[in-house]
Amino acid sequence: MNNTAASPMSTATSSSGRSTGKSVSFAAELQSMMFSLGDSRRPLHETAVLVEDVVHTQLINLQAAEVSQLRGARVISAEDLLFLIRKDKKKLRRLLKYMFFRDYKSKIVKGIDEDDLLEDKLSGSNNANKRQKIAQDFLNSIDQTGELLAMFEDDEIDEVKQERMERAERQTRIMDSAQYAEFCESRQLSFSKKASKFRDWLDCSSLEIKPNVVAMEILAYLAYETVAQLVDLALLVRQDMVTKAGDPFSHAISATFIQYHSSAESTAACGGEAHSDAIQPCHIREAVRRYSHKIGPLSPFTSAYRRNGMAFLAC
Amino acid sequence: MEGEETYLELFLARCAAQDDLAPPRSPLLSPIVPYDVYIPNSSNPETTFNSQLEEVTETSGNFSSVDLSFLPDELTQEDKDQTLIRSKHETEENCKTKSWQSGLPLPSQQDVGLALNSSGGSNSHSHLHPGDADSAQPSPEKPLSLPLASITPMTPVTPVSECSGIVPQLQNIVSTVNLACKLDLKKIALHAKNAEYNPKRFAAVIMRIREPRTTALIFSSGKMVCTGAKSEELSRLAARKYARVVQKLGFPARFLDFKIQNMVGSCDVRFPIRLEGLVLTHQQFSSYEPELFPGLIYRMVKPRIVLLIFVSGKVVLTGAKERSEIYEAFENIYPILKGFKKT
Repeated sequence: MNNTAASPMSTATSSSGRSTGKSVSFAAELQSMMFSLGDSRRPLHETAVLVEDVVHTQLINLQAAEVSQLRGARVISAEDLLFLIRKDKKKLRRLLKYMFFRDYKSKIVKGIDEDDLLEDKLSGSNNANKRQKIAQDFLNSIDQTGELLAMFEDDEIDEVKQERMERAERQTRIMDSAQYAEFCESRQLSFSKKASKFRDWLDCSSLEIKPNVVAMEILAYLAYETVAQLVDLALLVRQDMVTKAGDPFSHAISATFIQYHSSAESTAACGGEAHSDAIQPCHIREAVRRYSHKIGPLSPFTSAYRRNGMAFLAC
Repeated sequence: MEGEETYLELFLARCAAQDDLAPPRSPLLSPIVPYDVYIPNSSNPETTFNSQLEEVTETSGNFSSVDLSFLPDELTQEDKDQTLIRSKHETEENCKTKSWQSGLPLPSQQDVGLALNSSGGSNSHSHLHPGDADSAQPSPEKPLSLPLASITPMTPVTPVSECSGIVPQLQNIVSTVNLACKLDLKKIALHAKNAEYNPKRFAAVIMRIREPRTTALIFSSGKMVCTGAKSEELSRLAARKYARVVQKLGFPARFLDFKIQNMVGSCDVRFPIRLEGLVLTHQQFSSYEPELFPGLIYRMVKPRIVLLIFVSGKVVLTGAKERSEIYEAFENIYPILKGFKKT
């Protein structure tokens, strides 16, 4: 499926030969995750496999190892990943907020359980706000114009996150309590919970330079963000595909799908889906295509990390 | 028994002289503070009261050399406890103006029964005006029944229409105290039971006692942290016991600046909560990242308490320095949570 069609993924060398015989697969978890992010109750398996592939490719192609090598470090650490994301302010801010939240949460949970409190004291090192310190120190060192440090005080509302919250709220309003319980469980899934599986999936053991604990947390977060972005975009694409009566641009939009759907039937199949049905692989592909094809006068210059001609969804 | 009876008289005389109510003290000494549980205790007031006294005599006896430093603490503690009890009673009064939910049937029945018992007494006045001098000498069995006895409030109270009827239970109290003398941790670890000391890992002795079940971190500077108690009095009692252990080992331990640093309470609203709705409408106070933590973290500004709210309806409140803050925070959040009840 990777090698068919003019998919941007096919240009990435690492994705070939990966779809079959892969022992570690997150497809089942991804299906749950997509449900929690806005997809229908039972996302399609093919979609999940495709999403898995996209995420995997993106993470591999981050090439964080190279950055660490440049630095002369022995492990991939949080600093390398922050460095890679530095260009996209919004995503960087979201990542920083995530890191701070992690610190804050451990601080609170520690205060509640006395055993946790003892463990923390015994571990000796000052763990409080560890991630925040790492982030602050690093950004301090690379910041030339003061923009990055301004991010710490920045309190703007994250629109994407806002939209996701609203979508979740709309979704949950109509659920009954059993469905809601299931939804909540799906929301709690993350790549960081299955850390060892995640490591195998990324094939970390074959890397010379391995990521440390905080870096793994960030990678898990980036993977989750990628899935979330894909679902966001795919939902938009799906919305576009449904031809609305009176929409003047409907004939133009449907033209962008021609490269994927040779026959009129598949167009109809994709376009005729009701809102409540699952996201199709074609939606995902279209979403990736659109994302990497930024239209605009400065598009060749905006994306700084197009190493293989692929734009990164998470950063 | 002789000694205890005279002590009781002295104790009560002292309390009356200070215009304090003897009754509220006994509930504090009771190991089970939540009053929906200690009411059954009032059926055996003599025994419980006396057993509390035994504990008090025991501890005060062994601190013969440092008795004086205890007294000031106790006096101020009583005042503080008065305000706590007062605010707790106020919330209770507010709740009584509305019919109780089925959550706590037992206390309300007991309340009515006890109210009938002491309705004629002047003690019903004294709850709302503890400063009044007319708190007569109550007999031993009255004390434990009094705190919830008065149903008809003497001062007009604005009925809180959304009163929850649920009382958060305290789960953990962290307190600190200064023993005010340099300690030889190695000596303490060698001679004390249930003490751990691993200087390479952490520069303090970790000591545990079974009653109240707590853990203490004792530092060489003389400062001590006590965790695990389920009430303020228990935390204080545990800290005194640790101090006594240190004293028995030959150090001139005192008991200065006992302070409650953190209190953790928890309760259950008994309905599922739609957290997505809550995080959207209360964005500036709440954070909810289910991939990281299944609960919503709500930072209440007044009082400054952090609440962890879970889908199941369980609520954990932390960051309080006083019990009233926990109750107040819960009363604040309850109507909000009801608005997001998942049917």
